[in-house]
Amino acid sequence: MKRYIWILFLFLFPVLLFCQKKDLSEEIISIAEELTLEESNPEAVNMYLEQLHELSENPVNINSADESEISRLFFLSDFQVKALADYITTSGKIVSVFEIASIPGFDRQTVEMIIPFIELSQKDTFITDNFRLHSTFLTNIIIKPGEKDTSCLGPSYKLLSKYKLTAGRFTGGFTLEKDPGEYLTDFLSGYLSYTGKGFIRRVIAGDFSARFGQGMNINTGIHTGLSLTAPGYFAARNEIRPYTSTDENNFFRGAAAQFSLKKAGITLFISHNKIDATTSAIDDSAMLIAERFYETGLHNTASLMLKKDAVTETSYGINLTYNFRYVKAGLCWSESRLSLPLIPEKKDPENLYAFSGTRCTLFSGYYSSLINRLLLYGEFSLNDLHNYAMVQGAALKPSDRLTVNFLFRNYTPGYSSFHSNGPGSNSSNNNVQGILGNFIFEAARHLFISAGCDISHSPWLKYRTSFPSLARRTEIKLQYNPLENLTFNLSYNIRYALVNDDHGSGIAGIEEIKSRTLKGQVKYGFNERVSFLTRIDYKVADPSGSDGMLFLQDVVYNFTQVPVTLWFRYCIFNTDDWNSRLYTYENDLLNCFSIPALSGKGTRSYMMLKWEFGNRAELRLKYALTSLTTDKYTTEDKDEFKLQFRIWF
Amino acid sequence: MNYAGAGEAGMGSVCIMKTGFWPSFSNQALLAFNTSYIAGINYENRFNMWELGTRTAGLVIPAGKTSIGACYSHFGYSDFRRSMAGLACGMQLGKNFAAGIQIDYFLEKTSGDYDNYQSVTYEAGLFFKPSEKVNIGLHIFNPVPNSLRKAMMPSSIRAGAGIVLSKVLFAGAEAEMSPGGKLIVRTGFEYEAVKKLRLRGGFSSENTSFTFGLGYLLKSLQIDLSFATHEKLGITSSVSLIFKIK
Repeated sequence: MKRYIWILFLFLFPVLLFCQKKDLSEEIISIAEELTLEESNPEAVNMYLEQLHELSENPVNINSADESEISRLFFLSDFQVKALADYITTSGKIVSVFEIASIPGFDRQTVEMIIPFIELSQKDTFITDNFRLHSTFLTNIIIKPGEKDTSCLGPSYKLLSKYKLTAGRFTGGFTLEKDPGEYLTDFLSGYLSYTGKGFIRRVIAGDFSARFGQGMNINTGIHTGLSLTAPGYFAARNEIRPYTSTDENNFFRGAAAQFSLKKAGITLFISHNKIDATTSAIDDSAMLIAERFYETGLHNTASLMLKKDAVTETSYGINLTYNFRYVKAGLCWSESRLSLPLIPEKKDPENLYAFSGTRCTLFSGYYSSLINRLLLYGEFSLNDLHNYAMVQGAALKPSDRLTVNFLFRNYTPGYSSFHSNGPGSNSSNNNVQGILGNFIFEAARHLFISAGCDISHSPWLKYRTSFPSLARRTEIKLQYNPLENLTFNLSYNIRYALVNDDHGSGIAGIEEIKSRTLKGQVKYGFNERVSFLTRIDYKVADPSGSDGMLFLQDVVYNFTQVPVTLWFRYCIFNTDDWNSRLYTYENDLLNCFSIPALSGKGTRSYMMLKWEFGNRAELRLKYALTSLTTDKYTTEDKDEFKLQFRIWF
Repeated sequence: MNYAGAGEAGMGSVCIMKTGFWPSFSNQALLAFNTSYIAGINYENRFNMWELGTRTAGLVIPAGKTSIGACYSHFGYSDFRRSMAGLACGMQLGKNFAAGIQIDYFLEKTSGDYDNYQSVTYEAGLFFKPSEKVNIGLHIFNPVPNSLRKAMMPSSIRAGAGIVLSKVLFAGAEAEMSPGGKLIVRTGFEYEAVKKLRLRGGFSSENTSFTFGLGYLLKSLQIDLSFATHEKLGITSSVSLIFKIK
């Protein structure tokens, strides 16, 4: 098949010049690539991109001037949400997206970030009383011809199907997913939701996600503070929403309701869900225990099937909010109970403070206050063993061209929660103290400078680190937009961490890991139909001193005669080893993402086609090929084929 | 492939964004900007060793917004020869935008018991002008997986930009990368010192090479000379003649 695809490509290439109408901004892409680097939390990037896909599917109606609606743009700061809502209220509806750049607190960089996720239509698309059925059905199939594991239980393709039905204020849907090698019905999720405008704001039966305050008590989504140089760190939110993602363990299954009365709000939820875990029997009894949770969601072998749904979790909680004149405040209480006791391996010193038992209770209080150009926010959370976590942040905007952010966080080693995800936390939500700061400065017309630094300290041991450790991330970015359709980006990033040095025998020593990455990029939209992107990355990883480099060229082309869009990428990479690997975001099917780690010497290329059939259906096809040079005379190819079909009726 | 004539070799081989005869075979999109029938020959003497000489000939035929090009190149001597023939087409897709493609045939012959190799591949390029004074060129060579052919052939990607600083001064820079190789950065300039006489200079990070050259325009004939240094192996000289036929 590969031969025919390349022959087809040979004849198509002269017209394969490219462009996407609503391209993701560089900031969004760099956050995705940064999240991919965080090996401690592999689901973070998946969650992040799923939320972006959901936003692009259901864009924010900014002309509604509703702060809660605008705050769905989770990467905006509270400043920006309020400034946008105030502007629309006082100046009327926004006619052009570039008008937003003139609002205090916004710049062109931020406008580019939000363009794919907003709409300016004046109709109220958020809630409608018309009882009109609207269905969306989506199916993805992914095939990797070269990768077939005979030990797998089911078919080797990956399948994702989503269905959504909207009828006035009611919404229902289901998600079906199977990973390669899994049985067809490995994960099935569904919900029924009602959204109102009065006292009852939302009721959900079935699967749902929740987030309250800064997310230190309950947050089944992604945490804030995503990027060192992101425009804002604060996007606290109190919401429950139908669950449509594919993380098989971090969601609630039951019922939730959100009510609002004048300045007060209350949310109640209860969940009874089965989650994956590694179980074993205690040596001297038949009693079963859970050693650890199993979070990847992959069940394609007999041994992994044993982990599936091994523990039943019952969760419930209540969240109260009140809006004072200058302060928004809230209290949240939650409790989770497990059917089997979670008892981690205590011989391992890094587990000394790890959660042990069947019940986890958390109580938290949070606030935010906007005083002129200063935003203060924070949350304090305590568990029943008196271990705590706290964050305190400040965002200052001394002028319209300068924003400064600070965030302090302290998650004590014994603090534990099953569904939290606070700012700057890692995958285990404990054992980290740190301070993070950044600024974004419009240095001159069309020239933006941003820089950030995050210093964190783990007072207790952690994975691959048998000693209290320190980590540091620093980044500086320049963006220059000399023309409306031409953007230059340059960034320099340094990461420093301490890990075990296992090279010798005996007690592990301390190794300093440092990487420096320089990225340069030019993006040019020639016209409505064609756009180009050229990018060069260079990375040096110490202590080995290995380096890596990549050079990629993207072209996107929109046909005018037929509703077809073509993406093409050709990338050459050359890295000394895995430590100097480089990541690049790729356009992909909806609800899929691809940020391959490029290591070794070779090329990575892909072609993707999107064909829209009126407003009824859409077809996407993607073919990707990684060609690795194994020695001077041979190469090793890995290809994958993806197909997506989406229909609305 | 880099088909830099002596003119471009004098500018550090910066050529994918500069219109002209030889650059049209380095970035086929540039073919579209040739409005006359043009033929050219080029001889490159690498490190002053005749065994490492490359002889190249080319022809461009304009046809409205499209131009056709053909070139032939021969490298080596009786015991080792590498020949290449290419057929190219460049097309203007807009006022300031062009694309082109070239099909290449390679033949490598070695005397003795060694095998001879031949292969076919293609290369393609884009050229656009964001403004009157700025040119941008992109080029990809051999984006075909090597698993489809018997002998390995490296692929490469190049991107560059040039700017017309004044009526008599053009400067450009480009970057190139191949699998297994480091990024190569080239930069160069062309200055029309007196009417019809052009002086050129450049630098390439590949082997830390400095280049310089000159060109003279004589009615329908253009003569170019260039010299490029190598940090260890000495000097490479080139000469080329370009005839504007019609």
